[in-house]
Amino acid sequence: MSATWHAAPEVLDRYAAEDLNDVHASSLEAHLLRCAHCRSSLSARAQSPRLEAVWTGIEDALDAPRPGVVERLLLRVGVRGHVARLLAATPSLRLSWILAEAIALGTAAIAAQGAAGTNRAGASLFLFLMLAAVAPVAGVAAAFGPGVDPTYEIGIAAPMRSDRLLFIRATAVLCASLVIAGVAAVALPRSDWTVTVWLVPAFGLTLATLALATWVRPIAAAVVVGLGWVLLAAAASIASTDPLAAFHAGSQLLFLGLIAGSVVVLARRHAAYEGRIPT
Amino acid sequence: MTIRADGDDELIAAVATGDREALAELYRRHAPWLVLRLLRRCADPGTVEEVVQDTFVAVWKGAGRYRATGEVPAWIWGIGIRRLISRLRQRPMPIAAAQDEAMVSAEDEVLIGVEHGDLGAALGRLSPELRAVVQATVLDGLTTKEAATLLGIPQGTVKTRAARARRELREALA
Amino acid sequence: MSVPTVEIMDVHKRFGRTPALAGLSFDAPAGITGLLGPNGAGKTTLLRMAATVLAPDSGRIRMLGWDPSVSDERLAIRRRLGYMPQEPGFHRSFTAFEFVDYIAILKEMTDRRARHDEVRRVLDLVGLDGVKGRRIKTLSGGMRRRVALAQALLGDPDLLVLDEPTAGLDPEQRLRFREIVSERAADRTVLLSTHQTEDVSALCPRVVVMLDGAALFDGTPRELTNVAAGRVWLAAERSPSARLSWRSPDGSHRNIGDAPAGADLVDPTLEDGYLLLVGERAFAEEEAA
Repeated sequence: MSATWHAAPEVLDRYAAEDLNDVHASSLEAHLLRCAHCRSSLSARAQSPRLEAVWTGIEDALDAPRPGVVERLLLRVGVRGHVARLLAATPSLRLSWILAEAIALGTAAIAAQGAAGTNRAGASLFLFLMLAAVAPVAGVAAAFGPGVDPTYEIGIAAPMRSDRLLFIRATAVLCASLVIAGVAAVALPRSDWTVTVWLVPAFGLTLATLALATWVRPIAAAVVVGLGWVLLAAAASIASTDPLAAFHAGSQLLFLGLIAGSVVVLARRHAAYEGRIPT
Repeated sequence: MTIRADGDDELIAAVATGDREALAELYRRHAPWLVLRLLRRCADPGTVEEVVQDTFVAVWKGAGRYRATGEVPAWIWGIGIRRLISRLRQRPMPIAAAQDEAMVSAEDEVLIGVEHGDLGAALGRLSPELRAVVQATVLDGLTTKEAATLLGIPQGTVKTRAARARRELREALA
Repeated sequence: MSVPTVEIMDVHKRFGRTPALAGLSFDAPAGITGLLGPNGAGKTTLLRMAATVLAPDSGRIRMLGWDPSVSDERLAIRRRLGYMPQEPGFHRSFTAFEFVDYIAILKEMTDRRARHDEVRRVLDLVGLDGVKGRRIKTLSGGMRRRVALAQALLGDPDLLVLDEPTAGLDPEQRLRFREIVSERAADRTVLLSTHQTEDVSALCPRVVVMLDGAALFDGTPRELTNVAAGRVWLAAERSPSARLSWRSPDGSHRNIGDAPAGADLVDPTLEDGYLLLVGERAFAEEEAA
C-alpha cells in the first residue's frame, strides 16, 4: 500500500451513488479512514440538502435547553414541553427551593415524632401542621411578580396572559408543596385524620394569597396572608388548651369559606394581574 | 464561513473548548463519508441520519476525552457504528442488502489499483453472508456480540461464518 | 405624513406626586421615530405605554389603530409587538438561547421545532450565533443588550418599541444595531428612545423631542437641525449672548443662541437644534421661576 495512492474518480462517483461492489466499497472505506484527500474528494460528490438538515438537528440538540431535574419530572408526569419550560423558570420550583422546603418540613415532622409522648408533643405537631399549611404561600410569593421575575415587564408586554402564567405556576407550586408535606407527614407520630388536617388550610391560604394579589404585589399578599396565619394560629393554640385549636372543625369550615370567597374574587378580578408595574 | 486549515486533531481540541465552528468543520469533512459508510450497514436512511446526528453530538460532548493520535476518522467511525448498533438493539431493522455476486472484473482491478489484489478477488468469491461477517468483524472491528446485533443474526452464527470465511480465504490464497 | 400608526393624544401620567407625562401629543407613521430628550423627560414612561405595559391617567393612545385600554385590542397589539425595556431583566443562569426561547414561549410559540428555528434566526440577526450556548451572566453588557434586542425581534413584529437600545454599546455595535433596525423598518413601525443625536441623524426619518413630559418638537431631523439655523457661531471664547457654549476639539468655542452681529456663523448640526430647544425651555423655566 503506497502512501500516495488515491482512489480513482470513477470509483468515488460510484461509491457516492451507492453503486460500487462490496469488495471495492469495503476496500475504499478502509482507505478513507486514513486519507483526507480522498475524503475531501468524496465530500465534493456527496453533498445533499439532507446533510444540511442533519446539521440543523445537531445544532438544535446542542442549543436546546437542557431540562433540569424538576423539569424532567414535570415532563414525565405529562406536562407539555413549553409549559414545563415556563415552570422551570419559576424560582420556587427550582431544585434548591424544593430541597429547602423538604428539609424544613421533614425536620419538623421528625421533631414531632421525637417529641411524641412528651409534653412537647402537641406543640411540635402544631409546628409541623402550621408550616405545611403556609409553605405553598411562600412558594407563590416566589413564583411571580416584579420582585422575583426578572422578565416581568417583557412578560406583560407578551401576548400570553399574565394571570394564566400565575395560575399555572401557583398550581405547580401548590402541588409540589402538597407532595412534599404529604411525604414528610409519613414521619408524623399520629396516623389518624390529624395528618391531613393541614390540607384545607393550605388550599385556603394559597387561594387567599392569589386573591389578595389582585390588589397588591404577590410578595406583599403572601407576607400578609402568611404572617396573619402564623400569628392567628399561634394565638389560637396559646389561648385554648389544645395546641391544635387552629385546625379544628370550626377552623376548617372557616377555611372552606375563605376558599369560596377567594374563588369569587379571582373569578372577577383575575385580569388585574396585568399592568402591575413597579413605579 | 472560513475554511480552516487545521488538522482534525486540532479541530477536536477546539471542539473540546466549545468551538462550534470547529464542530461545523468536522461535520463538513466527515459527515459525507460517515453517511455512506453507515448506509452500507443499515438500509434505512432515516435511521442513518439520526445516528449521524447522535454521533456528532457525542463528538461534541466527548471531545475532551479524545487523545490526539491522528486517528480522528477511526474514532468517529467507532462512535457512529456503536450508536447504530445500540439503536438496532432496541429496534431491529432491515440490514443493507448485500450484493449476491461481487465479481471483480479485470477493469475493476485496474481501477482500484493495488489495494487488495488477490485478497479482493478472494473476498469477491465469498458468499454475501460471509462477506458481511468479514466486513463487520475485520474491517469495522466489532465484537461478536456487536456484529450479531448489526447483522441481525445470533452470535453463534457470527462465529461459524467467520470461521468459514477464514477457511475459504486461506484456501483461495494458498 | 402618511397614515399614523402611533397616535398619542394629550396623555397625562403621574406617579404619586411626580408628573411624568403632562399633555404629551404626537403622531408617528410607519418607519423609525426617534424620541430624544434628557433624563426625566418621560421617554420611558411613554414607551411603556406604547408597549401596553402601563396605562395613562388620561388622554388617548392608539397603536396600529388599536386602543390598548380595550382588552381584546391590547392582546392584538401584543401579538404584533416587540419590546426592549430600558433595564432588561434576565434569568442569569439561562443561556442566551434558553432566555430567548423562554420569551418565545411567552409569545405563544408552542411548537418546539419552529420556536427553536425562530430563536436561532433572531440570535443570528443580532450576531450572537456564536454565543448561543453561553450563560447570560458570562456575557458582556453589549452582548446582553443584543440578547434583549433579539427577543424583541421574535416573530417579526409590526411594532418595535426600544427603550435606550444603544446605551452602553460601543460605536461599532451601535452601527451594527442601526443596520439591524433599519432593515426591519421598511413597512414596520419602530419607536426608539435615545440620548445620542447620532442615532437619530443616522436612523430616524422622524424625531420627537421631549422635555418634562411634553413634546417640544415633532418633525424631521432636517427641521430640527434648522431650528438652530443662523444661531450657531464660533468664537475664541464663550460668548456672553450664547445660551449654551462649549469648547470644540480645535480650541474655539461653539456657541448657540442669538448670534451677535458679525459673528462667525456655521452650519448647524442636529445636536445644535436639539440643545437649543431643550436649553431654551430650561432657560425659560429658570427665568419664570
